Amino acid sequence: MTPSPPSTHLPTVNTEADPIIEVRGVVKKFGQRTVLNGVSFRVFRGETLVIMGGSGCGKSTLLRHLIGSLKPDAGSIRIFGEEITDLSESEMDRIRRRFGMLFQSGALLQSLTVGENVALPIQEHSRVDDAIVELMIKMKLELVGLTGFEDLKPAEISGGMKKRVALARALALDPELLFSDEPTSGLDPVMTAVVDKLTQDLTRKLGMTAVVVTHDMTSAFRIGTRLIMLGTGPHQGKIIAEGAPEEIKNHPDPMLQQFIKGEADGPIPLRLSKGDYLKRLLGETTG
Amino acid sequence: MKRYFQLNGQILYWLWLGPWKKQPPKVSHIFHQLIRIGVEALPMAALTAFSIGLTLAMQGAHELQRMGAGLYVPNLVAVSLLRELGPLLVAIIVIGRSGSAITAELGTMKVSEEIEALGVMAVNPIRFLIVPRFVAMLVMLPVLTVFGNCVGMVGGWTICHFALDMNTAAFVLRAIEAAQVGDLYSGLAKSVVFAWLIVTIACDAGLKVEGGAEGVGLATTHSVVYSLLAILVANAILTALFFFI
Repeated sequence: MTPSPPSTHLPTVNTEADPIIEVRGVVKKFGQRTVLNGVSFRVFRGETLVIMGGSGCGKSTLLRHLIGSLKPDAGSIRIFGEEITDLSESEMDRIRRRFGMLFQSGALLQSLTVGENVALPIQEHSRVDDAIVELMIKMKLELVGLTGFEDLKPAEISGGMKKRVALARALALDPELLFSDEPTSGLDPVMTAVVDKLTQDLTRKLGMTAVVVTHDMTSAFRIGTRLIMLGTGPHQGKIIAEGAPEEIKNHPDPMLQQFIKGEADGPIPLRLSKGDYLKRLLGETTG
Repeated sequence: MKRYFQLNGQILYWLWLGPWKKQPPKVSHIFHQLIRIGVEALPMAALTAFSIGLTLAMQGAHELQRMGAGLYVPNLVAVSLLRELGPLLVAIIVIGRSGSAITAELGTMKVSEEIEALGVMAVNPIRFLIVPRFVAMLVMLPVLTVFGNCVGMVGGWTICHFALDMNTAAFVLRAIEAAQVGDLYSGLAKSVVFAWLIVTIACDAGLKVEGGAEGVGLATTHSVVYSLLAILVANAILTALFFFI
């Protein structure tokens, strides 16, 4: 067990416990572009952390670091108390068995049926007989409201349904930790509420921890116990706000307010280089 | 190039050590691939081999009859099919139908995050996706080659019987007399090497895909072109080996 470092600015839900996820000073560059620039946060058991931010702010990149698909250029990431930045693939697999991941596109295997997709992690990581697998598939599909779709191929169902199947697959092994990339995009309002309710139930009643990347503000405030906002432009790759839903709602930062309210123009300009747009446009032709 | 050899290493690793680590490749996946790579290629392989058998017999008859050696047509057909044309042509057919399909399929899976998703579920993509294809290809290409050899001989027989008025017994006797068991084995050895090259090149190209539909298209082209080059060069090297040893 590692002693948790003293926290100074992070509002924590329950400080006695070790954090499930601890990210410190993560930096990632793709070529010249710095996508993550010193991101630090912690997530505790039973929390739902929502990561918000405009397009291209590095939300998905951050998530890819947490699941071990990308390695940071600098900084440390600890999951379940283990530093994952220097784990080998097979050691990382041990960690991966303990969490589920919902990809933005669903990422279902097109060659398998819905049922086989949900069964895949169960069959790969546990030795239970087919009858029980069958039962587990039914239960997981029931959770996301898709009973009776076991035998269809992913190509035969809608985008929103694929996403729910992917959620069922991510939950197949009853993970301690769930990562979701845009879990509600492409879902109708009712299904969004169903998926949000499911996340809430799993975290509050069963102590699962969730990290959710989303653009959907309603759903962010509904499920999030803590929210962080990643900046764009000059604040690229930095956390510009962090707090409980109420704190974020009343946050003084105008950029954050613009994002929450969904306004077209504001501190995040409509055009990134509004001022010199004319200059650039005409400058090149007139010299 | 380094990645290609790494892939070969990983395939062998999972093939031999997978069962020891209680993670053997799925038998049902191997059967699925056996059918896709082997059984479904039967009609195409048969048609190709039959045409080549016919052609060989006609070309051979044309030249040999001028020298009064028309009787040797079965020998010519048997030896060229078993040693050379059978393995090569069947491999070319398989590159066109299965090599390209493997690359396109894996490439599409790569692009749609399916391969990453497997990794995140702690399911090794090499073990889950590549090893079944590898095993199926290594089993099925030699099998298709033997099948192609037989059908090619039927093609040769068709010409000998109907155009050269040779009787069937004479054809069979001459063909068996000409073909040594060594010829069959050298052809099969070739087809095993071809199978290895085709499936590893196709998988490597598929796993390397970046950037959407265009990337999948490019990778498929590369896979087919490099597989063809690789088997033609390998064929020359192997023929030289069998010739000099």
